[in-house]
Amino acid sequence: MLKGDSPNAPADSAQNFTVGVGKSVVLKPQSPAMTAAACVGGLLVPGLGHLLLGRWIRGVLLLASVLLMFVLGLAMHGALSSPPASGELVSFKTLNTFANVGVGLAYVITIGLGKGAGIPDSQTADYGWLFLVVAGLLNYLIVFDAFDIARGRKQ
Amino acid sequence: MTSHFGALTAFALLVSVVFGIITKNEPYEQFKYGAFVFVSFLLAAVLVGWIMYPLPL
Repeated sequence: MLKGDSPNAPADSAQNFTVGVGKSVVLKPQSPAMTAAACVGGLLVPGLGHLLLGRWIRGVLLLASVLLMFVLGLAMHGALSSPPASGELVSFKTLNTFANVGVGLAYVITIGLGKGAGIPDSQTADYGWLFLVVAGLLNYLIVFDAFDIARGRKQ
Repeated sequence: MTSHFGALTAFALLVSVVFGIITKNEPYEQFKYGAFVFVSFLLAAVLVGWIMYPLPL
C-alpha cells in the first residue's frame, strides 16, 4: 500500500501528481468541513459529493448511473429490505438493508411511499434485487472516491 | 428489460461507468477502463453461459 493511501496520510498540503508526459497537476485538499459535506451529501444523493467538489460531469454521470440502476431494480420488481427487528440483527437481512440504504434518500423516499415490496413471483425479481443491492454498494464506493478527491489524493 | 442479456448488458454498462470514473483520473483513461470492464462483463457472461450449457438445469 502506498503511503498516500493510508487513512492517516497528511491532507494539509498540496501534492504534485504527474498524470501524463510532461503534465503535472496540483491537488489541493479541501477543508474538513467541505470533506464532511461531500461525504454526507454523497451518501444522501449519489454523486452529490462530486458535484460539491466541482466535478460536474463525473457527478452527473454517477448520479444518473446509480439512480437508473435503482429505478431499473424497482421496475424489475426487486424488493427493498427494511431494517431488521432487534432480535435478528445478525442476519442476511441486515447486510441486505445495509446495501439498499446506500442509495440514500431514494431508499427513504421509496420506502416512505410504500413502494419497494417487489413481486417475488416475477421472473425478473432476482435481477431487480441485484440491481437494488449493487446500486447501494456502488454509492458507498462513490463516497470513498469523493473523500479521496476532497483530501487531495485524487484528481 | 426484455431478456436476460438485456438485463446483464444494462447492469454491465452502469457498473462500468461508475468503475471507470472512480478508478481513473483522466477522462480518456476513465473511458478506456470503463470500456474494458464493460466488455469483460459481457465476455465473462457469455463464457459462463457456454460452460453451463451442458449442465442439466
